[in-house]
Amino acid sequence: MLDKILTENFRRTLKMVFTDINNQQDRRDEHEFAKDEVRIKERLLDTFTTHRHDVILENDFRIAAIDGSGTDSLMTLDDIRIHLLSTSTVVVDTNTQSENLFSPIERDTLENELGEQPHIDIHWHSGVRGDARNKLAETLASIYPLKDVASLTLPFFKDHTKGEIASFSDFGDTEYEKHVPRLRELESLISREQLLTNPTVHEEIRKTSEYAAARRLLMSDIQPKYLLLDGALSVFMHFVRHYPSMPSGFMLRDVCALARQKNVVLCAVSKNHTIPFAHRIAGMAREKFGASAKWFCHLPSREDPEGGLHIYEDRTYIPPMLAVPYLYSFSRDNRPSRIDFDRIWWLENIFVPGDPGATRSNEKTLFAELEFMSRDARWYGYPVPLALAHESCKLSYEDLRLAKEVCMDVRSEMGLEMRKAEPLRADYDL
Amino acid sequence: MSLDRDKLGELFGKVGVGNQTTLGIMGNNRDISVGEIFMIYSNRDGHERVFFFRVLGLENYLRQVDDMARIAGTLMVEGDAYLSGIERNMLLSIGGRMLGYAEKKGEEWTFKSPRRLPDHLASVYRPIPGTSDDSVRAMLECQTDGQVYVGDLQVGEATLDVPIKIPSKFLPMHVGIFGSTGAGKSNLMMVLIKSVIDNNLDAFRDAKQKLQRISAFCIDPHDEFAKGVDKYGIQHVVEDMSPSTRSEVIGDFYYLTTHKRATTREIRAHAREIRILWSEIQPRDLYSIREFTPEMSSFIDTQYSVAKEDWISAIINMNEDEAGVPAGTLRAVKRRLSFLERSPIFIEQGSSILSDIFIAMETGRVLVVNTSLMGDMEQFLLTTIVTRTLSDMRRALKSSGNLGDFMNQGEMRLPSPFFNSVEKQARAFYGIGGVKDETPVQDPRSLPVIQVTVEEAPSILNPELMKGQSVFKDISRQGRKFNIGLLVVSQQVSVLDNVILSQMNTEINLRLGNEREIRACIENASVNISGFESEFRVMSRGEAIVTQSYRELPLPVRIPLFDDIYERDKHRYKDKGSKKSEEHIL
Repeated sequence: MLDKILTENFRRTLKMVFTDINNQQDRRDEHEFAKDEVRIKERLLDTFTTHRHDVILENDFRIAAIDGSGTDSLMTLDDIRIHLLSTSTVVVDTNTQSENLFSPIERDTLENELGEQPHIDIHWHSGVRGDARNKLAETLASIYPLKDVASLTLPFFKDHTKGEIASFSDFGDTEYEKHVPRLRELESLISREQLLTNPTVHEEIRKTSEYAAARRLLMSDIQPKYLLLDGALSVFMHFVRHYPSMPSGFMLRDVCALARQKNVVLCAVSKNHTIPFAHRIAGMAREKFGASAKWFCHLPSREDPEGGLHIYEDRTYIPPMLAVPYLYSFSRDNRPSRIDFDRIWWLENIFVPGDPGATRSNEKTLFAELEFMSRDARWYGYPVPLALAHESCKLSYEDLRLAKEVCMDVRSEMGLEMRKAEPLRADYDL
Repeated sequence: MSLDRDKLGELFGKVGVGNQTTLGIMGNNRDISVGEIFMIYSNRDGHERVFFFRVLGLENYLRQVDDMARIAGTLMVEGDAYLSGIERNMLLSIGGRMLGYAEKKGEEWTFKSPRRLPDHLASVYRPIPGTSDDSVRAMLECQTDGQVYVGDLQVGEATLDVPIKIPSKFLPMHVGIFGSTGAGKSNLMMVLIKSVIDNNLDAFRDAKQKLQRISAFCIDPHDEFAKGVDKYGIQHVVEDMSPSTRSEVIGDFYYLTTHKRATTREIRAHAREIRILWSEIQPRDLYSIREFTPEMSSFIDTQYSVAKEDWISAIINMNEDEAGVPAGTLRAVKRRLSFLERSPIFIEQGSSILSDIFIAMETGRVLVVNTSLMGDMEQFLLTTIVTRTLSDMRRALKSSGNLGDFMNQGEMRLPSPFFNSVEKQARAFYGIGGVKDETPVQDPRSLPVIQVTVEEAPSILNPELMKGQSVFKDISRQGRKFNIGLLVVSQQVSVLDNVILSQMNTEINLRLGNEREIRACIENASVNISGFESEFRVMSRGEAIVTQSYRELPLPVRIPLFDDIYERDKHRYKDKGSKKSEEHIL
């Protein structure tokens, strides 16, 4: 293959693709961006005063972070795939008073409250019709701590309808009335049955496992000020029924509601994001505040004063439903990341109607704290609790190899038929 | 058997990678130094073993950090950066050598060379003085016990209460002390002399133990041993003893010097002047200390066969015009002998000390020989005459079945005036239960071990002199038969002759001066200590690595200051109840 990649012909093909992108997408985006440029620069982009490195906070606080990892093919037995998931919760304390900044709380304390860390889940399903959905529902039900499906679904509707639906009796005369029977069983909340591929199933369990960990944390006595998740606070909707197409969407809103109730700032950070023109916004920030500045940029939605930005007008899920995304950078060496907040919390705690100055002031306080927790030299610019959670849960190639060996070992211990755990293609060295 | 692991020390880390020779250990972020010894507890396949490991290299390791340079850079550039909870992730990656392992067989601990590997992720313990001493002493008993105390087991910068001793039975297999100026050789010599005296004291006090007495002829080139370097010296040990104990252990004298009058009053009471008669010198004594051309040695040998013990006087008084004497050779030989004419210690007539030295050495005593006022040649010749005389006496004994044979052998091998003067005592020492001619003789190995110091060893134990008729060549090869060993003291290893180096079975390696000597020392060591180069480079005064061919473990030793161990032990030289018995006599 290398002989092809290194040819002039390959370069020509690439040139054609880039020209194509440039002609179609970039030109359109440039046009749209031009409309947003002044607004971004003047009113959405800002910097903030960072905490001194030797600051002593009057009230030190805890920050929790949750991350998950896994594989959808721990072992393949004909059409059965065994999934392995690991979810980790890390809690750090700002500890400015003891000068031992952001040190994780004792593992014993954490495990007493939340159970073993990282937490391991296993799932399997076969190719038999309906099995994926049945087993997925079973697994989700066993993982998520809130077992009452009606209570699970309600927070979404409550937030989505701005409080119009506050209980099941409020569904009458709404577009959801006809779907109420579906909202009583977890299995019937899985409305993307046709798309239940292994990666989709895996992703759904992974999210559920993370949200389950979040729920457990919020219900515990740990009482963090922040709870950080990895990714985005996106809820994927069923296009016809207008509610989440998978149970994890409801779970996310359940967690958001619980976080608000417990006074915890819930946010989700994504290094990998698809915010268009992020590099141009970063360039603007450099130009406006200097190369070493730490900055954030609000990405408003249609419902905000002045409406949403033109650059993501036609991009689904930006901003995500019921969430407020920001672009931010705390390190000159890294590309900007995205952080999402629960919109309901944001409206209650950050946004001050009719007072953009007060809103901005709240944002600055928020980002100063987020930046303070993102100064670990190992992952400078990225929140350290999330990085620690990631380190704790990640399943390396070597871990997976060993897990596969353990699988074979256990089967042999049980006297079951000997089956290799490596992918089938490994037999041919492919 | 289940070992109490708490007694090994503090849990330090886990074995990571490695093989039976070198290991990589991941441990806590502690203040570890090169040279520390760790113990690794292993229980593989039902075999409980404790492996001993020596630190040779250290590296900081941060868990979850692949690129330390990047982290350090970030901390520098981003002045507000921190490292969250990093204390528990700060580890120390340690590389080092496996020294061997201890394993209990029945009630006895055995020690084996590294030929096995500790179990997977075996726990590593760092010995702590006060906690680990008893267990380490028990485990290493077969590697550390003996009669001649050298120092204490060093574990990094600390020491454990684990005394390192050399068994007296291995002294005749020669001991080397190597160290540059200021490495602590004089203090070590004083510690060794004290150990020998302690051994002889124990042998005297507790005859049931059947301890073999040790004799030592100790050259003191700077006249430090008797008075001491700082506060105390051997004289204090001697003075602490009651007259009766002193008489048994030290004898009438222990200090030999060229000028008795130049000695302090206290020491003078235990001193003798060194005087050796020309008649007690043999030609090969001279061949052992400097080179002679074949013509010169042939001429000397001829004169010796004619004039016997008077050969030196004969040559010195010889005229050049005497028939058959080549003038050039005679002049050259006279020049070489001229130092004897000028020497106050080598005398043509008078009374000699050699017979007293012989008696002292055959009764298990220590002699401190002040050579500070002697010339090099005088010192070398004295050492040679003493060594040769003692070895010839024992050689004669070894070649005999009874005292009658011994007399014949002695007369044949030794100068008559000397042999006649010691004949009576020799019969008493060597006969088993009698002094008659038909009395059977002792095996030399049942007699006291004799240790003769060869100071500035390269001057006489060099390849040129050892090629010829050196008396040291025979001693180095056959000393063990006669129970006579050399204590070779040198600043250099590289210039010593291979015969003596290959026969040496115990080395006390102190700090060395340069890379060449370090390499030579490592090559010469009786146990494989390759890889210890960096250790030698960081060694301090008084620190040593003791290697012994009869033991598997190279032992890091801290030699205590003589003053400290004298203070610690001085009570033991006094006789218990001696005061009471004296009163009774009165």
